[in-house]
Amino acid sequence: MKAASTGPVLAAPYFLWLMAAFAAPLGAVALLSVQESSELFAPLSLNPSAIQYLDLATDPFSRRTILRTLALGACVTLASAILGYPIALWLTRLPPGWRPLGFACVLVPLLTNVVVRSLGIILLLAPGGLVSNALALLGLPRVNLLFGWFAVGLALTQVFLPYMVLALYDVLEAQEKRLAEAAAGLGAGPVVTFFRVTLPLSLQGLRAGVVIVFLLSSTAYVSATLVGGRQVMVSGMVVLKEGLEILNYPAASALAMVMLAASVLVTFLIGRAIGFATPWIAARPPRRLPSMPRVLVALLETIGPAVSRILLAIALLLLLFPLVLVAVSSFNNSPQATVAQWLGFTWRWYAAVLDNDRYLADAWVSLKLGLAATVVSLAIALPAALALVRGTFPGREALSAFFMLPLALPGIAIGLGMLRLLQWFTALPAFLGILAVHVVLVAPFMLAMLRASVAALDRGLEEAASGLGAPPWRVFLRIVLPQLAPGIAVACLIGFLISFGEVTVTAFLTTARLQTLPVRLYAEASFSLENTINAISTAFILLTVALLLLMHRLVPLDRVWRR
Amino acid sequence: MTSTTRRLLLGAGAAAPFAFVRSAVAQIRRGDELTVGVWGGMQERILREFVATPLEQQHGVKINFVLGGTPERRARAYAERGRPSFDIVYLNIFESRQAVRDGVTQAPTDRVANAANLYPVAKLGGYGVAFNPVTIVYDRRAVASPMTSWKDFWRPDLRGKVIWPTYPGAQGTAALLMAAKIWGGSENDIDPAFRQIAALKPFAAIQGSQDQLYTMFDQQVGAASVEFGSFTRAYAESRNPNIVIADPVEGQAIATNVACITVGTQKQALAEAWINLHLSPECQRAYAERIYYSPTIRNLTLPADLTAKLVMGEEAVSKLVDFDWDVVIRNQPRWSSRFTREIAG
Repeated sequence: MKAASTGPVLAAPYFLWLMAAFAAPLGAVALLSVQESSELFAPLSLNPSAIQYLDLATDPFSRRTILRTLALGACVTLASAILGYPIALWLTRLPPGWRPLGFACVLVPLLTNVVVRSLGIILLLAPGGLVSNALALLGLPRVNLLFGWFAVGLALTQVFLPYMVLALYDVLEAQEKRLAEAAAGLGAGPVVTFFRVTLPLSLQGLRAGVVIVFLLSSTAYVSATLVGGRQVMVSGMVVLKEGLEILNYPAASALAMVMLAASVLVTFLIGRAIGFATPWIAARPPRRLPSMPRVLVALLETIGPAVSRILLAIALLLLLFPLVLVAVSSFNNSPQATVAQWLGFTWRWYAAVLDNDRYLADAWVSLKLGLAATVVSLAIALPAALALVRGTFPGREALSAFFMLPLALPGIAIGLGMLRLLQWFTALPAFLGILAVHVVLVAPFMLAMLRASVAALDRGLEEAASGLGAPPWRVFLRIVLPQLAPGIAVACLIGFLISFGEVTVTAFLTTARLQTLPVRLYAEASFSLENTINAISTAFILLTVALLLLMHRLVPLDRVWRR
Repeated sequence: MTSTTRRLLLGAGAAAPFAFVRSAVAQIRRGDELTVGVWGGMQERILREFVATPLEQQHGVKINFVLGGTPERRARAYAERGRPSFDIVYLNIFESRQAVRDGVTQAPTDRVANAANLYPVAKLGGYGVAFNPVTIVYDRRAVASPMTSWKDFWRPDLRGKVIWPTYPGAQGTAALLMAAKIWGGSENDIDPAFRQIAALKPFAAIQGSQDQLYTMFDQQVGAASVEFGSFTRAYAESRNPNIVIADPVEGQAIATNVACITVGTQKQALAEAWINLHLSPECQRAYAERIYYSPTIRNLTLPADLTAKLVMGEEAVSKLVDFDWDVVIRNQPRWSSRFTREIAG
């Protein structure tokens, strides 16, 4: 079989990159987690000790934290899926002229700094905020939704929902539109069509979205810190506290390793579940679904469209409303970014941004880094995606799990590992060093998205081209690549955005001469969050909209996004 | 062969007495670069104006700022012990003293001329550049009567309205130690503090930074907390006139921002010149006027209305509540773990 021999070759660049830039810090973290002594300057021991893991296992607080973090990740993933489908379907049904606007609704939040979006959630949920006021207007008691698990869950959903939408859109757009028509012709209403046709056929995209959202939300800590009021303890925060504040690397490393193991397990289970639900991919006989009572079907068909529209409205509001608050705040004449009340209109935060050439210099570094990381990641992830989807070589599943590992390890843990390797690491030119790590952080996302696109390819076309005498490279250029183009575009966009906004690991690696914009914002936020952050974010929002409009003029977006 | 020679040379350099190394770094040369790890915001702006720009103009050197919070900076300085990429790191009172003991940063010396004007308490574990005492701050609308004692947190009218600071961190450390002190304990007997703080539960919230606290005050999430008087005064004057900075009878807890020269820096003279400028009356005046940082030097007089808002003069400085930081540092991991489990979790 050709794929069997080329698979390992195609996967090799990705594998080698991970070995060089990921396995080393991971190894450092693994080694630290089996140290017996938590003394800061104790020499590294090669005698493994299970004491750190025993401490974790016997400590009810740690167990509770890990379980709660995983549960939070699961809830955020579920909420993202429920809200993601209406948006993704809405995007596929938008008339081409409106589609750039629709995409802006998803991409613009993604581009906005996580810190600022969390602030939007704070303004939304605060005791004197909009939700509370709305409840009071309805005659219900005022509630403080802020500083608790609900607020953290909502903030995380706001932050990660766009990833789910983009993953779903990619497969939904590729779906044969006539299938829905056929279902309707056979008497199925929209709800039945969704559950019996659209959903099963989009499960590969759902898998990509679920994996990304789950792993990101179960390792996130910025939103939890900001809107959880420090009373919501998630594993990432505990790793941060043990590692950075207490400088107890062994304990932090052990917790990071446990989180890694849990994430890998969950990713594996998600893969198995989706595999079970899509027997046709492995050419197994289809499963017969139990039929629903007619009354229930009729009821669902009646309320379905309304529910779907409400969900769409909630999802769009959740995505956009915090940004509106950010934009409004950027004109607020108050020194700090978190001020809820309006103190007067001013342009001065924009003047302050333009007046500060350091912001522009840092933005330029972030831009170069984001572009370079995207190009390198695409170059290694695309062959790897082809190898993983089509290859039949032994160890493919293990390789697939290894490739997604960087996603599962909390950024803070990679930072910890990097701290230990800092002397070795800083021997590299600063830009290359950060690039190496950014590729590690970006490539798994792109791989997850590209895998879904490759899996959705129509192999019949390739076979036809081969049958007509096209050599493999021409089949790839003329048949495969054009079909993959939308998936590649989306993957690159996400890759760029992740690199552009990355803070947790980059903060350890930036030097005085090479600083990225998010790290600067984060640095300013850790001292005092000045309103310039809102001005910068608003400028980015406008820039994104402008870029999308420009793209639309040069290459009509409807043709780029539609296969 | 080359690498062996280089290693030998490096080894010799590390083993050489400090005076020997110093001769190579004791003078400022044009083109030298100084890397300073410091907080951002107004502090960075004042340092650029009063320290970085004069040095750059006078000596033809370049100053690089690495902005960020204390934990990242400290973690990195520790990871790079002996071969630092930072020449100066800014730490708080307990971290700076520990860093000196751990061989990460240098103890202060008389080579920094302006250090002669420092209060003795600001010359431990580095060069104190600002007193930034931690005290009770509260919303006057949400309390039955003014808060004048640390014990007031336990008053019935504040039940469920206290915003406690997270531990560790300057505010959380001060709050924990003051609680121990007023409830019959001390840094050597911390149990009363944990017991009493746990009795305050449920908290309106736990706060992790001044920004977070001010947001909470804006939103009227709670009534009172423990915070730096300096930032809170600026906040109260610019945004929320209902906020009061209390002066409790038991005193305000000492906290300082400390400039620390790293062990192994190649820019010793430039680093000392930096700190000398930071301790100049001009820079200290800007600190006091713009962010209400109390000066750590004795040779500065300020207008009476400004002095009233600061901790100034031997008497006021000596009233700041100090602690045995060795004990505090030694217990930090245990207390942190206890705080997470018994208070925040």
